[in-house]
Amino acid sequence: MRSPSSLKQEFLKKWMMGLHIYGSLKKKMSLLERKKAIKLSADIAMASARNGTTCWSRALVANASKDEQDKILVQHILGTESERLMKKVSVLPLMSNKRIRSKKVLRRSYGSIRRAKKSNIAASPPNKVLAISIAKRLVRKRTLLLKSLVPGGEFMDEIALIEETLDYILSLRAQVDVMRSLANASELNNKN
Amino acid sequence: MEKEVFMNEGTQLTWNSCTFGMEIQANDLNSATGQVPSYFLNPNWENSMDHSDPFESALSSMGSSPAASNAAGSSDNVREVITRLGNLRSSSGEISPNYCVKSKSTSNSGYSTPLSSPRMLNLSMVDSQIRGNLALLGNELTNLAPLSVDPGFVERATRFSCFGSTELPQRLVPTPRMESGMLSRVTSNQSIKVAGSHQSNKNSPQNGNSGRLENAEIGDSKEECSVSEQIPGGGSITKSNNGTNARKRKSTPRGKAKETPYPSASDAKVAAENDESTAKRNKQDEAAASGNAKENDENQKQAKENPKPPEPPKDYIHVRARRGQATDSHSLAERVRRERISERMKFLQDLVPGCNKVIGKAVMLDEIINYVQSLQRQVEFLSMKLATVNPRMDFNMEALLSKDIFQSPGSLPHTIYPVDSSAPAFPFGYQPQQGLSLQGGIPNNMERQFSLNLLNPSAPRNSSMQFTSMDGFCDTAPLVPSFWEDDLQGVVQMGFGQNQPQNFHGSMTAGQVKIEL
Repeated sequence: MRSPSSLKQEFLKKWMMGLHIYGSLKKKMSLLERKKAIKLSADIAMASARNGTTCWSRALVANASKDEQDKILVQHILGTESERLMKKVSVLPLMSNKRIRSKKVLRRSYGSIRRAKKSNIAASPPNKVLAISIAKRLVRKRTLLLKSLVPGGEFMDEIALIEETLDYILSLRAQVDVMRSLANASELNNKN
Repeated sequence: MEKEVFMNEGTQLTWNSCTFGMEIQANDLNSATGQVPSYFLNPNWENSMDHSDPFESALSSMGSSPAASNAAGSSDNVREVITRLGNLRSSSGEISPNYCVKSKSTSNSGYSTPLSSPRMLNLSMVDSQIRGNLALLGNELTNLAPLSVDPGFVERATRFSCFGSTELPQRLVPTPRMESGMLSRVTSNQSIKVAGSHQSNKNSPQNGNSGRLENAEIGDSKEECSVSEQIPGGGSITKSNNGTNARKRKSTPRGKAKETPYPSASDAKVAAENDESTAKRNKQDEAAASGNAKENDENQKQAKENPKPPEPPKDYIHVRARRGQATDSHSLAERVRRERISERMKFLQDLVPGCNKVIGKAVMLDEIINYVQSLQRQVEFLSMKLATVNPRMDFNMEALLSKDIFQSPGSLPHTIYPVDSSAPAFPFGYQPQQGLSLQGGIPNNMERQFSLNLLNPSAPRNSSMQFTSMDGFCDTAPLVPSFWEDDLQGVVQMGFGQNQPQNFHGSMTAGQVKIEL
C-alpha cells in the first residue's frame, strides 16, 4: 500500500482535474448541482487514485458511470485507465453474482445441516443458545449495514468486506483531509 | 502415545537438544539475513516456561506481515516463528513423539548417547555451543547412516510414523498458535512423501546435508508460517533419524510414498501463490467429503507442478483440531474463515479510533459503521461547503495557495500538526496543504491551466512567512485529532523532501530553495 501522503497528492491532482472538467462542461450550476459535482469528482478521484485495485473503487466508478453525463467525467478523470477500469467493472458484478449465488446455495445447505445438528445437541442450555443466536443476528445486521455503506459491498464476502473497509476508511480519511484543507483555504480566500 | 513419550523422556534428553540445536542452526545458517541464532534462542530458553507469550508475539508479527506484503519481513518472521516453535518444543515438559522414534533408532543401532545429562544445560546453549553440536551431530549422522537401510528398523519406524508425522502440529494444539493460525488443515501428504523420498534415497552421510539443504530452501522462501515450520521439522527428522520414515500421516498408506522430483516454484511465485492456494485449499477442503478426495487433490496438484525443478513442498497448511473440536472439513474451513476475519478485524480495530477498548464483534462493527458513516458525512459536508464557497466551479489555485500560506496557522485548527523534533525545519501549520497543492497543480501543467509560474510568487512569500506564523500554531496544536498526525507528517516529508526538487527544476527560484531549508 502506498503512503497516505502520495495517496492524497494523487487524489488532489485528479480531483482538481475533475473539477476543471466540470467547470468547463457546465458554466451555470445551482448550489446542489455544484455540490453533487464536487462530491462526484472527489469520489471518482479517490477511486482512481487507488488505481482500481480495490473492489470499492471499481464499484464507485461503476456507479458513477451509470449516469451518462457523469460517465464523461469519469472517462476524463480516469484518462487512459478508464477503458480498463470500465471493462473490469462490467465484468465484475456478473462474476461476483455468480459466485455469490453458488455460495448462497452452499451456505443454505450447510446451514440446514448445522441447524439439524444443533437442535440435537444443544437443547440443554436454552439461554446460551438464545444468546448466541442473538449475537449472531446482531453481527449479521451490522455486516449488512456495512455492506451497504462500502461501495460494492453487496458483492463481497465477509473477509473481503473487512479488507475493503480497511482500505476504504484509509482512503476516506485522506479524502476528508484534503477536502477540508481545500474548503478551509477557499473559505479564507472568499473572506478577504 | 503419551505413555511412549514419557517412557522415553528420561533417556533421550541429550539427543533432543542436540538435534534441536542443529535444526535451529540449520535454519539460521541459511537465512539470508544472517540472523544470529542466539538472538532468538537466548531469551526464549531462559524463560522457557511461559512459551506462549513470545510465541504469540511472533505470530502477531507474522500476522501483520502479509498486510505489509513485505516479503523480506515475512520471511524473517517465518524464521522467527520456526525458531520459537523449536524453542517451544524443547522447553515444554514432554518430549515430542519424534523422539520416540529416535530412541528406537539409537537402541537399534546400539549407538549410545550420554543419557542423563541435565536438560537445562542444553537449554542454555548459545550460538557457539550449537555450532559444536552441529559438528557433533554430523559425526553421529554418519554413524547412523546404515540404519535406515535396515528393514526391521524401517518397520519399527513405520509403527511410529504417525507420531513422527504429527510431531510439530500436534504439540502445538494447545498453544495459541492454533488460535491465530488462520490456516486450514489441509493434507500434508505431499511433503510427507518428499520426506519419505529423502529418507529412502539419501541414507548416506549426505543425509544430514540434504536435510540442511531443505531447510536452506525453505529459509529463503517466503511462506506462511505453518508451512515452513512443518518442513524444517521434516528436515530435522530426516536428519536426526537418518532417514527414518517419520513423516507420515495416519491416513496415508506407506506404500504411497513415492519419489517425486519435487516441484519448486521460484520463491517469489510461491509467495504470491500462497494466499491463493490457501483459499483454494479451503475450498477444496469444503468440497472434499473425505480425506481421500483431499489426497487426490494433492496428487493432482503435484502432477501439475511436476515440470518445475525439485524443492520441498511449501504450500501445506496445518490446522489441527483441539480436543473436542470437530474435524470435518466444513468446520475446519469455518474455523479458518473465522480466524481470518478476526485477524482483519484487529487491523480495523487499530484503524478506527475508539475501537480499541471495544470487545465484541457487534460493537466493533458498530464503531466501524459509525466511523465510515461519519467520514462519508464529512465528505458530503465538505463538498457542500466547497460548493457554497465557490460560486463558480473553478478553484483558483493561486489564490488558494496564497491564502493557505498566509493565513492558515492561526485560523485553521484542523490541519495543524504538533511540533515534531524530526521535522524541525518546517514545524508550521499549513505547509502540508501547500505541498499538496503544489504537487497537485504541477502535473496538470501539461494540459491544464495551473501554470508553474503561479507557484513562483507564492513560494518566496511562503518562505518569508514561515517565521511569523509560529505563534498561532502553538496555541492550536492541542486541537489536532490524533489520527491525522502521521499523515500530515508524511505529507510534509513527501512534499518537501522529495517532490519539490523534481517538480520545480524547470523554474527553480531562490524562494523555493528557501522552502526546502
